[in-house]
Amino acid sequence: MQAAIQTKDMPIAGSPEATAKPSPLLELRAVTKTYGPVAALSGLEASVAPGEFVTVVGPSGCGKSTLFNIVAGLEEPDAGGILRFEGNSCHAADLLGRVSFMPQRDLLLPWRNVVDNAILALEVEGMPRAQARAKALKMLPEFGLTGFEKQYPHQLSGGMRQRVALMRTFLFERGLMLLDEPFGALDALTRAMMQRWLLDVWQKYRRTILFITHDVDEAIFLGDRVLVMTARPGSVKLEQVVDLPRPRRPEIVTAPEFVRLKRTLLDAIEEESMKSFQSAVAQEKAT
Amino acid sequence: MSGSPLASSPLAVQRGILGAVLLVVCWEGLARGLHLPSYVLPAVSEILAGVWSKRALLGEAAGYTVLEALVGYGLGCLIGIGLAVAITMLPALRAVILPAATAINSVPVVAYSPLILLWFGIGVASKMVMVAMALSFTVFLSTLAGLDRVDRRAIDLMRSFGAGRLSILWRLRLPTALPLLLAGMRVSTVRSVIVAIITEMLGAYGGLGWVIYQAVLQIDFVQVWSAIFVASAASLSFFGMIGFLERKILFWK
Ligand SMILES: Nc1ncnc2c1ncn2[C@@H]1O[C@H](COP(=O)(O)OP(=O)(O)OP(=O)(O)O)[C@@H](O)[C@H]1O
Ligand SMILES: [Mg+2]
Repeated sequence: MQAAIQTKDMPIAGSPEATAKPSPLLELRAVTKTYGPVAALSGLEASVAPGEFVTVVGPSGCGKSTLFNIVAGLEEPDAGGILRFEGNSCHAADLLGRVSFMPQRDLLLPWRNVVDNAILALEVEGMPRAQARAKALKMLPEFGLTGFEKQYPHQLSGGMRQRVALMRTFLFERGLMLLDEPFGALDALTRAMMQRWLLDVWQKYRRTILFITHDVDEAIFLGDRVLVMTARPGSVKLEQVVDLPRPRRPEIVTAPEFVRLKRTLLDAIEEESMKSFQSAVAQEKAT
Repeated sequence: MSGSPLASSPLAVQRGILGAVLLVVCWEGLARGLHLPSYVLPAVSEILAGVWSKRALLGEAAGYTVLEALVGYGLGCLIGIGLAVAITMLPALRAVILPAATAINSVPVVAYSPLILLWFGIGVASKMVMVAMALSFTVFLSTLAGLDRVDRRAIDLMRSFGAGRLSILWRLRLPTALPLLLAGMRVSTVRSVIVAIITEMLGAYGGLGWVIYQAVLQIDFVQVWSAIFVASAASLSFFGMIGFLERKILFWK
């Protein structure tokens, strides 16, 4: 199912190792990151195959956004860890401009309308505005934004702002997409709609996605694989394959396999949440 | 954003006009009722008549002053914005420029006027330089504050798109700085006219400040007030113009 994936940044498949077995698009080995006295990540191991949808869950403050900042190229991990992208070992900074990153907040620019916000990355790349706008206009319907192209962010609802931010991320066509809690601030109904919509769009464009969420249902519903992170310092505690068939229907959340997966994941998360809660309490007492 | 300084509701405009009318009526009544001599306070009607009868003289003087104020304003804004951008792009410059600019500005600009008149002469050039000096620091500080206010995470987002410093400056920092930059520019309008007039009083070939100075020597207080009226009309319209532009440009506020 991953044979047809080709984005312009990926080497053309055909090198001997690529034909044998699809090498991971992204590989992290023993990645550690400390901020002064705070260890945010410690010995994190993970890999993402091309075309995969991997979700990441973990207690608050366990280093999920830190992981994304590293993979987006914004922060360098501590020395000793290994970072591989498209098969080559690299520094985090080499990934700047090669991964499409959607941060935890939408960060739309208030002086740009919907279309011009969506084409921000294309403009940075140097694509002429007219061409970039034409490209964005064609995508509007899929993102449920038809008729809103001239609106400004302050005129949009939360769900729409999120879709504009997603469209900006999609238009920056890169092999790997990082989505940091894209639906975290939405109400349950909008969120469920956005999840189904994201799966549709993902299936159509076949991008590789790494997706952070607080919501276990969301993690299972969307993911091929769920990574559960430990309490801070974060590393991968559990890697759970989700072998539910696609396309997934909303009713799947009540299917026995789904519930079983949820039980396993919740147990793992609860254990870690307890740890981070206890360490927070201990710290409180110490000070 | 409700209650922003930019919002001028019809009610606020009405109140402003009402206040101005009340002031004029009180002034007129006071000056006439108490038979104040014109060296104390001439009546508004007297002043307006003075403006009309001396319209040629005042018009020419206003032309001088407005030219000095506008050119000085443009120069001052360019210098202020340019320095703020330079500091942002080359942070190493910050440690040099900031203390120097603060030191120059720790003394009121008028203190430099003898030197400026000496260097640039009694003509319009010295006034332009004085106005530029007086404004550039205000515009510099407000632009710098605006440029510094940019969201770290937005910069990170731009960097993740592979954007360089220039691209981030142009697409993110400058638009973010605009509200504060324009507020600084709006405040500076009135100051530009004031500084031009004060410098003219210290030595000039023409201009409203020069007219005021001459009128005082000739004990013609109606003319002093006429020149003051024309000067405030000029600075108010300048202020209004920039304020209008500000509202147009900052449509998202
Ligand atoms: N730039 C930084 N400087 C110092 N400490 C940081 C920095 N960024 C993150 N941290 C610390 O690293 C830890 C992990 O932060 P991170 O934002 O990655 O958590 P998270 O899992 O994304 O949390 P949340 O679920 O609340 O978004 C936190 O304790 C945070 O305080
Ligand atoms: Mg986070």
